[in-house]
Amino acid sequence: MSAPVVASGAPPARVLEPRDAQSLSEAVRELGSRGEAALVRGAGTELPEGNLPARADVVLSTLALRGIETLDADEGVARVAAGTPVEALRDAAREVGLDVPLDPPSARSTIGGALAAAAQGPRSLGFGRARDAVLGLDVVLGSGERTRCGGRVVKNVTGYDLAKLYVGSLGTLAVLTHAWLRLRPVPEMTQVLIAVVSDGSASFEAALTAARLPGASAVALVDAPLAAEAGPFLPEAGEGRLVLIAELAADEPVVAAGATQLAASVGAERASEDAVALLRSIEGSRGEPRFADTLRFRVTSRAARLEAAYGVLRRAGAHVVVHPGLGLLAARFHVDPDAGTERIDACFAAANASAKAGEGSARLVAGPAAARAGRDVFGPEPEPRAILSRLRASFDPKRVLNPGIMAGRIA
Amino acid sequence: MTTPARARLLDALRAAVGADALLCRAEELFVYECDGLTHHAARPFAVVLPRTSDEVVEIVRACAKAGVPFVPRGAGTGLSGGAVALADGVVIECARMNRVLEIDPVDRVAVVQPGVVNADLSKVAAPHGLHFAPDPSSQLACTIGGNVAENSGGPHTLKYGSTTAHVLALELVLADGDRVRIGSRAGGEPGYDLVGAVVGGEGTLGVVTEATLRLTPLPEAVETLLGIFPDVVSACHAVGAVIRSGLVPAALEIVDRRTIEAVEASVYAAGLPLDAGAVLIAELDGPAVALPRQVERVRALCARAGATRIEVARDADERQRFWKARKGAFGAMGRLAPDLYVHDAVVPRSKLPEVLAEICAIGDRHGLRLSNVFHAGDGNLHPNISFDRRDADEMARVLAAGTEILELCVRAGGVISGEHGIGTEKQDFMPLLFSPDDLGAMRRLRDAFDPDHRSNPGKIFPTTRACVESNPKARGYERVSFDA
Repeated sequence: MSAPVVASGAPPARVLEPRDAQSLSEAVRELGSRGEAALVRGAGTELPEGNLPARADVVLSTLALRGIETLDADEGVARVAAGTPVEALRDAAREVGLDVPLDPPSARSTIGGALAAAAQGPRSLGFGRARDAVLGLDVVLGSGERTRCGGRVVKNVTGYDLAKLYVGSLGTLAVLTHAWLRLRPVPEMTQVLIAVVSDGSASFEAALTAARLPGASAVALVDAPLAAEAGPFLPEAGEGRLVLIAELAADEPVVAAGATQLAASVGAERASEDAVALLRSIEGSRGEPRFADTLRFRVTSRAARLEAAYGVLRRAGAHVVVHPGLGLLAARFHVDPDAGTERIDACFAAANASAKAGEGSARLVAGPAAARAGRDVFGPEPEPRAILSRLRASFDPKRVLNPGIMAGRIA
Repeated sequence: MTTPARARLLDALRAAVGADALLCRAEELFVYECDGLTHHAARPFAVVLPRTSDEVVEIVRACAKAGVPFVPRGAGTGLSGGAVALADGVVIECARMNRVLEIDPVDRVAVVQPGVVNADLSKVAAPHGLHFAPDPSSQLACTIGGNVAENSGGPHTLKYGSTTAHVLALELVLADGDRVRIGSRAGGEPGYDLVGAVVGGEGTLGVVTEATLRLTPLPEAVETLLGIFPDVVSACHAVGAVIRSGLVPAALEIVDRRTIEAVEASVYAAGLPLDAGAVLIAELDGPAVALPRQVERVRALCARAGATRIEVARDADERQRFWKARKGAFGAMGRLAPDLYVHDAVVPRSKLPEVLAEICAIGDRHGLRLSNVFHAGDGNLHPNISFDRRDADEMARVLAAGTEILELCVRAGGVISGEHGIGTEKQDFMPLLFSPDDLGAMRRLRDAFDPDHRSNPGKIFPTTRACVESNPKARGYERVSFDA
């Protein structure tokens, strides 16, 4: 893992790794009183998310907060420390027939990181949003107080739903220390289907239909050059074609019915590979050095505008994986390491144009520091700026946690 | 407020909405004194009925200028006092903002004004094979604005989630009159999840003037089972077994014996056996190919838990009959006593049997008519107490029992509201669950949206002396003391 980078150029040398929530709270207070800022991180797999920090004097790691405190199979809930890898919880849950409805980018990603980044992956189609997996959170506010919100029960309107605010806040309001999560039953059967389809409206409609089949757990359209990267595991698509990957996870008769329907509509065939692993290798785990010469954007789009958003990206030279059920396009631009800022600006412009076509938004999710320096990776100014700034200022008045990384580079 | 100040505010409100949309005479205001929680009441200063979000902006600005608070209100079906205007506030009644602005069957999205009635939206979406999934028992009357404010649930929340899972974007008029849009139809907008924070905000973060909602496909098939159990505890065990089995039913509802008796004696009679200790309504929905096996699994689990009889609805009419017992329960209670206190708390589902037994014991100990009809699959309890608020002694016992029930649920690992909200009803019970710092974090959210506390003040947070003094008679009963 490369060292974290800050806007000023120098990565922090000091690493704090509190062993419990109380020491974390004390560390945050101490930093605040000294006027220092922390780069909050778990495994670091989501670090490319967000803007370059305006300042980081220390790395504040949650990795020592680790462990599954409760796994209640009767209830289908778990309480887990933030530094626990999602996969560790998944392994434990699987033993009692349950799964964790989170799909972060790496096997090393932690619960805290996945929630702070509101991580989305291909399986988010079946899992739902990260925010919907959270029942309750224990956090340390930027001002140092240990507080909690929500609870362990599956339905709760007791006070404001602060968990929604913390999920996706990239650690700029509070550091997550523990979470109560809703688990879900492992479906009876999982089946991957693959088809080569034409690069046209009919295929986008077919892909959206596939994503809306009962039991669809992950559905993606992959452009031909990206599909080729998966080597022999995917069929050769050829120029102007796309590969449709669909994973169905449900009761056996539901999966069988879906497979029959996909065979009839697009000629999909059953595949034995793990489609999600394939998609990950195609989209690339974000921290990987082999992608140092790429800029990767995540563009959201209305379902009805996906093809238009896709077209803008392709015409600008990007390679694209479309997740129709999520209204999401993962775009990858090749950028020579010595390319000037014009090339980088052009990539941002294309991503933003795609978002405009999709009536969504675009953000840079991975790329070299040069591409992030001086830019807001989230695109245009977020609204309503006044409320976003006031939230930041009241939860973290001394700007200890990840200053500047949130949309709008709010200090 | 001085008399000239009152006159100035009334003039400003009249200018904002027109004379036909302003109510300010005592007899007009009387009906706005309370919501479904009838023993918490306060008369508003005035009621306005805007038609557009522009008018809401004007109303809120007039209130800001006068330094007067306001309260958004939908159909007034809330059960926690959320729509009551404290401190001489203005009620912004959204009933005339009832237009469905757009249904997009491709995006599966609806854009609506806040006064659209919940069930009406599903009716409009039905020709596209879609519906709005949150289905509170009051869905024939309650509005989307109220659902958003309270993060409303309903029987089918078990599978489809509460309102928060179905709101994509909102237009919100803030307490200073600024109009903002938060969230987006496509999702992934930069910045904090403000929509997630505003849903369930009980109208304290501003007035929702437009909502972009996710619509859910109507299921291909539905199967409804009615399990007859000798007692409520065995019905709870059946629920636990179904949850543990990995099945995800659309709804799991329990109606206890006392409720069955009330229902069967009323116009909602559904032909339930009067000797049943409890009935469990289990609904499964989804692809037709999946359901026969799931029905058999639920049937077997119910039988193992002690069901004496299990019926499967043969057609839509029979399904309606099963649900009649559940949905008519609150109406049927009207026969028992003039007032009904519908409690709302949640416990872990595995704790249902013991908690329910203790709740019934609490009711008996206080000599109250307590019955249970609840969302068992979510662990969401609704102990209902039938009473007469004119009987001061009974009122005191109702409140004492309510306190004991909430404390019991918290001890069992639960929370004090699953879908009705905190409002004025439970604000002083918040310290049962939350420390001053926990509540402090919530205040920071409140202050970021409404620093002057003009939007629905006096709700959610535990009361201060000032609040009580400014509104001494509002409740019509002695404040429940609470020792944290």
